[in-house]
Order: sequence, then C-alpha cells, then structure tokens
Amino acid sequence: MTDQPQIEWKHLREVELLLFREAELADANLYKEWFTLWARELLYWVPCNGDDFDPARHISLIYEDRPKLEERIFRLGTKHAHSQRPQSKLTRLVSNIVPADDYVADRGGSVSARFAAVEMRRDRPTIWSGRTRHILVREDGQLRIKEKHVFLVNNDAPMSNLTFVI
Amino acid sequence: MDQQIIQWGRSYSDASLAALVGDGRVHSRVYTDPAIFELEMERIFSTVWVYVGHESEVPKGGDYQMRTVGRTPVLLVRGVDKTVRVLINRCRHRGAQVCETETGNSKFFQCWYHGWTYDSTGALISVTGKEGYGDRLDLKEMGLSQAPRVGTYRGFVFASLSKEGESLEDYLGKSAPIFDLLVDASPTGEIFADGGAHKTEYLGNWKLVGMDGYHPHFVHASVMAAMHRNPESGIGATHREDPFEDKARTRTVDFGHGHAMLDFRQHRINHYQPHTEYLKKTKGGAEYVEAMHQAYGDQRARTLISLGGDPHLGFFPNMQLIGNQIRIITPLAPGLTQVTMTAVRLGGVSEEINAERLRVHESFYGPAGAGSPDDAEIFERVQRGLAAEVNPWVEISRGMDREQTDADGNTVGLISDEVPQRGMMRYWSELMTKTPPMAQSLS
Repeated sequence: MTDQPQIEWKHLREVELLLFREAELADANLYKEWFTLWARELLYWVPCNGDDFDPARHISLIYEDRPKLEERIFRLGTKHAHSQRPQSKLTRLVSNIVPADDYVADRGGSVSARFAAVEMRRDRPTIWSGRTRHILVREDGQLRIKEKHVFLVNNDAPMSNLTFVI
Repeated sequence: MDQQIIQWGRSYSDASLAALVGDGRVHSRVYTDPAIFELEMERIFSTVWVYVGHESEVPKGGDYQMRTVGRTPVLLVRGVDKTVRVLINRCRHRGAQVCETETGNSKFFQCWYHGWTYDSTGALISVTGKEGYGDRLDLKEMGLSQAPRVGTYRGFVFASLSKEGESLEDYLGKSAPIFDLLVDASPTGEIFADGGAHKTEYLGNWKLVGMDGYHPHFVHASVMAAMHRNPESGIGATHREDPFEDKARTRTVDFGHGHAMLDFRQHRINHYQPHTEYLKKTKGGAEYVEAMHQAYGDQRARTLISLGGDPHLGFFPNMQLIGNQIRIITPLAPGLTQVTMTAVRLGGVSEEINAERLRVHESFYGPAGAGSPDDAEIFERVQRGLAAEVNPWVEISRGMDREQTDADGNTVGLISDEVPQRGMMRYWSELMTKTPPMAQSLS
C-alpha cells in the first residue's frame, strides 16, 4: 500500500452509507427525500458525449444548480411527467467507493465510485452504468452532497429516456 | 378502397400507395409496414435532398463526421484541399466501412480488411499488391464514391443520392429564409454546430417527429406547470405567455416539399422588451443586442432577437431547426428512430450568452431534458396504438376548413392546426407514388 494517510474506517463507512442511502432513495423514486441529501448550493452534472467537456461550450445531459434540480423534482412529482408514468423500476449497485487522498472527515471532499443500475420500464430492461464523483461537504453536522458528477459509459451513444434520478 | 390496401401481401402499386394518404387522414401502414419503410428508403431517402451536416462541424482539412443518408453510410469530410465532400463510407474493394470513428481528423481512410487507402478527398492512393490486378484496376476510377449531388445553404450541407432531380435551391424553396432566422441570430451571421449532441432513440416511426403545435398542453403538461411557477425557468426564457393557444399570434406554415414551420415570429416580437432584459442579465447580453441592431437594422434585429434563433422549421425528410439545435432524424426501422440534437453556438457573442443558450437547450431537450423524453414516450404510445387496424386511419384534418394562403403563397393555419402534417404527407405521397431516378438507374 501507499504511505498516504488512510481515512479512518468509521469515516469511510459514513461516506458509504450516504452513497448507499442516496441509491436506495433514487431506486425507490423518492425524489423529495433524495433531494434532502443535497447541500444548500449544489451542482448535479451528467456530461454528454464524453467525460470532460467544458459545460460552458458543450451541452450536458444534465447540468443543474439547486433551482433547476428543484424544478426537475417538482416536475417529476406532477401527474403529467409521462415518461415516468408508469415509473421506472430500478435497482442499482454502488461500489468501488474511494474518498480522495485529501478527503477530511470534518469538512468532506471528493469521493469516486462506480455504479450499475438496471431500469425496468414496462417490458423493457435498460442497463445504466458508469463512474461517479461526489463532492461531499459537512453542513450543520451532516455530510451532504454538494456536487455529483455522473460519467455514464454510454454518454456518447443514442439512448432512450433518462428520466429517473441517476 | 379500404379493402384493397388492407391485405397481407405487403406489396404496393402506385395506386394503393396513393390510397394510404387520404383527405385529412393517413393509414396506419404508413408508420408500421416494413414494405412501406423499404419504399421510403428508395423513393424518399435515395432521391431528395437529405441534410448531412454543417460545414462548421468540419472546420479544418482532414476533419470528418460519420453520417448517414437514409441507410447509406457517408462521411462529411473537408479534404486537404479545403473542399467539403460527402463520401460514401464503403471501400471500393469489398465494401467495408473505411471509417469507424464518429468524428475526427485524418489524412487517410484506410480499409483494415486488405489495406486499401484513400486520402481525405476520397482518392485511392494505395492498393496492397496492386500488380495482382494487372491493368484491370485504374486507381483514378476507384476513389471513394461521392454522393451524386451535394449542395450547401449557409453552411448547411445537403446530399442527394440521385444524379438527377431539382436543384437544392428549388427543393428548399420558400423555407430557405427560415434557415436564416437561426444563422442571423448571430450578429456576424455565423453558427458553429459544435456545442455537443444529444442522441436519443425511440420505438416509433420517423415521421412522428413532426412540427406540431397542438400537443404541448398535453405532452408537456409538466413543463407548463413548471413554467407557471417560474416564467423564466428553462424553456420559459424563450416561450413567454402561451404561444400554443389559438388566440396567440402564432401560426403553422406549410412551405411545400414537406417543409413546415411553427411560426412564433409575430408572437415573440411582442416580447422583445422582456427578452432583451432577460439577455442583459447575462454578461455580453447588452453588447449582443447592440451588435444585432448594428448588423441588421432595428426592424430585422427585433425579429431576430425576440425569436432567439429558434426557427422551429421542419425540413423534409430528416432535419429540424428548433430552439438552439440542429436536429437530425434518422429512420432505422418502421418502429425505430434515432434523433440527434446538435447544439449550436453563435458567432460574435459572449461565451456567457452561448452558455446560457446551451443551458436553456438542455433544460428541455435531450434524453434527460424536461420535454424530449415525454415526446418520445408519446411517440412510442402512438406506435403501439397504430398496430390496431380495425379502424386504421390517423386523423390529420384539424383546421382544414380554415387554412389560408399567405402573401408568399404558403398555406397557413392556426398554431394547433394540422397544416404541417398535411403538408408532409402530401409530399410523402407525391414521392412515394412515382418511381425514383435511382431505381431506374439500378435496373
């Protein structure tokens, strides 16, 4: 192993439990509860066509601050978000959770992970998978999501609707 | 007559094809039958002008983009000689695609089956073991094939796989000035189709993605609800008040050749003032408004600024200019369609203004936007419903009795009228009931 300072197990566990909790709420389509895990100022970013395009010059699949994400949650909660009527049934595994070397338990920091999700909607299964980067921050004592970047393996391929929270 | 076409032979005479499109109605088979789809590939996509890409997507010598014309794989390439060509992506030897990367820059296209190599102008420059062909092979004759006809309008590149036919100018007809509404949203008259592409796919027919001003209150009810909370959020920034009510000064326009438009010009000009105020909140917004007035004069500038570079034009058969995007519609099967939405950046405006346009685009469009997924969902519901042939007619007669002709001779209706659908299907029918030049040349 390296001689980098190792994060304490209980702090790693706190990060893991937050990411697992996030995945559970997203799988259950509990958007509002999912939204409570986020920090006051936030960025929810799902790049398009690759992992490292500059959002100022290149569209993303999702690039949202708090008001925009709040609007997404509102819209999904109306009765007329047809592409989520019926809702997607989801199950996702989150793994390979690694806080960055400069992660500090009482402040937060960057955490990388991988996920694989199966979406079942009507009779059609879709596999979604990729890498995530969470920027976590401690706010009012709670570890919260300040930023989430989702790098889908298929972000440059034609895709069907991505209307649940990923 | 209905009996005549509802039969399990799936071979169509010109007369039976003509019967599929009636007065304000269309038969389900037009959207569901594989035999019809095959005929469309031949009689539409192999004959008329098809949009391939924009010159700004291949700015430098050697730049290329993989595209299709109907089912024909092509490369939009700028050669080292700076000429933009539409080359057929097929080795002249045994037919393998010579390019498998969606976009890039290359001096050569090499076939990795037997090593035949072409340069960026399509010329064949190397054949492995050429002596084996004796005198039978003339390299000069064996370059990559080119689309028989290529034409451009303001940087938009179109190709026709038919050697003969009307000129691009005639084919665009009165829709040409509508392209200007996007390009001239830039004070320098330049657009760059390099803002990234949302690529979506739905299980439905390609003709379902039409210009339709009747659907938003239902398909986009969730977006309307969100706009009600905050009129300037997302797409609300361009759609002030409700443009989809028949009392609004919005219109449907049929230009002929299947091209149609949802015309927001008269509606949005009323919002010139709030729209400029919205623009001025972003860095470079005030300069943009000023530059537009300088470039185009007050009257034209007001139209261009308030429209926001959103022509809402449907170019038949495969392209639309909507919002801030160039949309390519690619039919893959009767019930499978790909839609690529390429975001545009305007020349001569601040980075911040372009970034704001990208944000507005992605709020509504793309696979994770607020609008496109619901469109795709409804198209899939339509495709499933069309399997029913008990009463197989799709109704497109709305507003037939209140159509008008404008000063330019275009057919015009209220925003919710099915003028675009009738225009598209009238031209579809015209093309489908005449044997194309391509089929003649193959025989």
